[in-house]
Amino acid sequence: MEEPIVAISTPLGRGAISIVRMSGKNCLEIALKVFHCSSKEIKPRYMYFGQLEIENGTFEECLMVYFKAPFSYTGEDIVEFQIHGGMLLTQKVVELCVKNGCRPAEAGEFSKRAFMNEKITLDKAEAIIGEINAETEGELNSSLKITNGKLAEKINKEQNDLTNLLAEIEVSLDYPEHDYEEIVKEKIFEKLKEIKAQNDNIIEISKSGKYLKNGINVALVGKANVGKSSILNSLLGEDRAIVTDIEGTTRDSISESFFHKGVKINLIDTAGIRETSDVVEKIGIQKSLDSINEADIVLFIRDGSQKESKEDKEIENSLKDKLVINVINKTDKPRIISKKENEIEVSALKETNISKLKDMIVDFVITKEISADTLVLTNERHIQILEECDSLIQEIFSIKNASLDVIAMLIKKIWEKLGQITGNTENEDIISLIFSKFCLGK
Amino acid sequence: MENYDAIVIGAGHAGCEAALALARTGNKTLLLTISLDAVSFLACNPSIGGTAKGQLVSEIDALGGEMGIIADKTALQIRILNRGKGPAVQSLRAQADKNAYHTEMKKVLENEKNLFLRQGEVVGIEVENDNKIVTTSVGLKYSAKALVLATGVYLESEIIIGKTREKTGPNGFKNSHGLSESLKKLGIELVRFKTGTPVRLHSRSVDYSKMEIQKGDDDISTFSYMTEKPIENKAVCYLTYTTPKTHEIIRNNLDKAPAISGEIVGIGPRYCPSIETKIVRFADKERHQLFLEPESASTEELYLQGFSTSMPAEIQKDMVKSVIGLENAEIMRDAYAIEYDCIVPTQLNPTLELKTIKGMFFAGQINGTSGYEEAGAQGIIAGINANLYLKGQEQLVLKRSDAYIGVLIDDIVTKGTNEPYRMMTSRAEYRLLLRQDNADIRLTEIGRRVGLVSDERYKKYQEKLEKMQKIEQKLEKKAKIDEKLIIFFEKHNENPPKESLKFRDILKRVNIDIFDIEKEYKIFDESDYNLLEKVNIKIKYEGYLKQQEEDIEKMLANERLTISEDFDYKNITGLRKEAIEKLEQIKPLTIAQASRISGVSPADISILSILVKKSSKKGK
Repeated sequence: MEEPIVAISTPLGRGAISIVRMSGKNCLEIALKVFHCSSKEIKPRYMYFGQLEIENGTFEECLMVYFKAPFSYTGEDIVEFQIHGGMLLTQKVVELCVKNGCRPAEAGEFSKRAFMNEKITLDKAEAIIGEINAETEGELNSSLKITNGKLAEKINKEQNDLTNLLAEIEVSLDYPEHDYEEIVKEKIFEKLKEIKAQNDNIIEISKSGKYLKNGINVALVGKANVGKSSILNSLLGEDRAIVTDIEGTTRDSISESFFHKGVKINLIDTAGIRETSDVVEKIGIQKSLDSINEADIVLFIRDGSQKESKEDKEIENSLKDKLVINVINKTDKPRIISKKENEIEVSALKETNISKLKDMIVDFVITKEISADTLVLTNERHIQILEECDSLIQEIFSIKNASLDVIAMLIKKIWEKLGQITGNTENEDIISLIFSKFCLGK
Repeated sequence: MENYDAIVIGAGHAGCEAALALARTGNKTLLLTISLDAVSFLACNPSIGGTAKGQLVSEIDALGGEMGIIADKTALQIRILNRGKGPAVQSLRAQADKNAYHTEMKKVLENEKNLFLRQGEVVGIEVENDNKIVTTSVGLKYSAKALVLATGVYLESEIIIGKTREKTGPNGFKNSHGLSESLKKLGIELVRFKTGTPVRLHSRSVDYSKMEIQKGDDDISTFSYMTEKPIENKAVCYLTYTTPKTHEIIRNNLDKAPAISGEIVGIGPRYCPSIETKIVRFADKERHQLFLEPESASTEELYLQGFSTSMPAEIQKDMVKSVIGLENAEIMRDAYAIEYDCIVPTQLNPTLELKTIKGMFFAGQINGTSGYEEAGAQGIIAGINANLYLKGQEQLVLKRSDAYIGVLIDDIVTKGTNEPYRMMTSRAEYRLLLRQDNADIRLTEIGRRVGLVSDERYKKYQEKLEKMQKIEQKLEKKAKIDEKLIIFFEKHNENPPKESLKFRDILKRVNIDIFDIEKEYKIFDESDYNLLEKVNIKIKYEGYLKQQEEDIEKMLANERLTISEDFDYKNITGLRKEAIEKLEQIKPLTIAQASRISGVSPADISILSILVKKSSKKGK
């Protein structure tokens, strides 16, 4: 069996249910790291109900089926998760599988494996080739080089820097007896730090770019009567652009969106908020908490004129690891509550600072100035590669007393990963550089 | 006409290994050489090993070859390079006694019962059905089913010193004239490469007081797993430098340098440039280091490493005298460049057999490589495969994850080379696994299977494995938590443990190695440094070794997808034109090999793997 791969196998954003599929070695093992159910033993071709741990302590209901090789579509072990539809959540499940050892599948890869394992017939082979070609062409069109010259330049430069670094390391390994200044670890680390910073920058911008494309999901939480619904209404206010059931948010929740500074902002699970405001004092905390999972940003709304309650604390605890804007409402009354981080004082009643709050939401995630030609990686796979590079760099930093051969191996891996973006994986380039930079030889 | 099972042409480092491998597996083998005095001749530097090359020698040895044994036997000095840079890149380098090396190898050849060593220059090859008939310059004819060509740098070779061009082989030996033409007639494509060698000096004329001495290592390892007693250091080398005057002389005479003026057409290696090339290309460098190496215990000749040149002999004299400590140097042999014919190696299968003629193998510099070690490595593989061919058995291909030998052969037959190819550790993607210390563990079983590993060698190997197992078992024992343990940890700057723990886990600590444990706890009955070191590396690098093994696993999946030799690339839709051309030319044997061809993209490979599968199904 080949290395495990994962992909969403239902069309994105349509339908109430999404299926995320893994195929390959150890995929049941990977699945069971994240899927919790009461059954001790997982039998093939039975459906199990359980919980997926999406993030620390955050669970999603899920159905899981396991197909044991060779009795599966690909002929390998397959695990499928059926989850409630919605792009964000589905994407998160994929990310979860990747974090636990899967690689995102390439176009046509499941079918290709199915074919290699004689699961589908010959005539289908041509179709798969078409699929791969289409993807390659598609990638070429949307590829770095054509649509994003600057980014290509930047990533190429990053790889070039690494080529230089590798040449220096390799020369000291292959030509130890020559008189040049041998590379020291400090220099290697310094260069890697630089590259990591660059990567981080690109990742950050690209993620901002993602928000530009998909909008920012914002959840409003807070105990009853702090003014969630009035803030919601003020936010939507005259800017209200779309009132619709947005695809790719959450199960049966209702989202409403508006545009600010050209960015779409999706307010999720507004149904819950509206409901609780109608039914006074029927505490909507649980409802609010549910919407948190889906959110890029959480607006934690508190009544500034009242002391903090136990419920507030509870909500606060559940918001760890989230981007939170602390919204202090009712500033038309004297303030009692203590100062918070990332806070903004508003008055929904008098509509003060609402526009500032909108600015804050946008600026919170779109941290970099993005113009039409800035460096946005739209290919998720590419963003993932840069993240993998970063964690390899982190690994190098974390090894105490690493010998140069090990460091070289890890840097080479980073170099190869970047090569998957730039298309350059020719080892010969490093060797050529060694000879052009250094005077070597007997 | 005399009949043999196999004929090997050329008794250099490739030819000797090939002939020995053939003879030792029971084939009546004829080894033809232009001169019996040139058998296994170290034509350039008097040294064996070095980075990556040391690994190659130990691999040849593990397969049952001869180079390591003779290198150990004739070493004048031995050193480990890259100590402290990690086990993967540590390599042995020995100064070898040039005369002794030749004599010892010749003795081994002469004492091999199925081997017939004979002087004779092959001028023509004819192929008649399965038979290869070779004709020598004096009209003698020999025939055999298997043929190994290992002609080194002798094919139509020319020595160049300034304006002087002489049609000779290296060191004034006769060159090979006519064979190139015969190869072309067989449809084989040739190219012209170039290399060179520096002057040899008389020891008495050197002022060593101005130079830096270079001694061998005290605790000495060996290349061969058969060598019992450690090597003694019998000689030293010296380090010296060029001066501004050297550079001035060279610059003033560049018009007379054939390598610069364009008179030399052959392509030279980037890693072995002449001193004039160095000075032109690295004009900023104020001085270049040079080493003086002893050629042999039986001569006063010294090799001046780093001073390869094809300048006129008269200018060479001035150049040498401008070097620190060589003010009164006596030159005994002039430096020269040499041009020669070699084949385009992509015409070979990874077995080193010619794709177009079965039973015809090529090894060594004729394949566009350089170096004694690279030659020996190909020689033993060509010998092994010629034998397997004769026996009708599946031939041996070492994978890139098995050995440097695998990397070397895969590189030249898949990518070709546009200069004499030298092995480097950076060419090996699984470098951490391909170490010199574990070459025997990687390859002895393979050597045994192909019939080259003797009972004696095999027994030794098994004993070693057992000893290593014992050491590892000892490491499973626990060290009791007590004052001694805590002090031991503190002494090595490690946080002391809170409870008893296995020695194996102690060994995982960064600052503690197996020798520290042995010193303190004396748990092993083993005092063999090399064995302990092997286990030490195995455990300390476990995590990284595992990473590489996982990478290999991925590669092997594609390595198992074989492409039939008559696979038709032409009529494939979906493959890019460039990819088709490259694939047609190389005719890779596996999908993995195809993926290493430059100009073949991952998408091409995806498509190809499906089509290969499809055609193999149709074939059934």
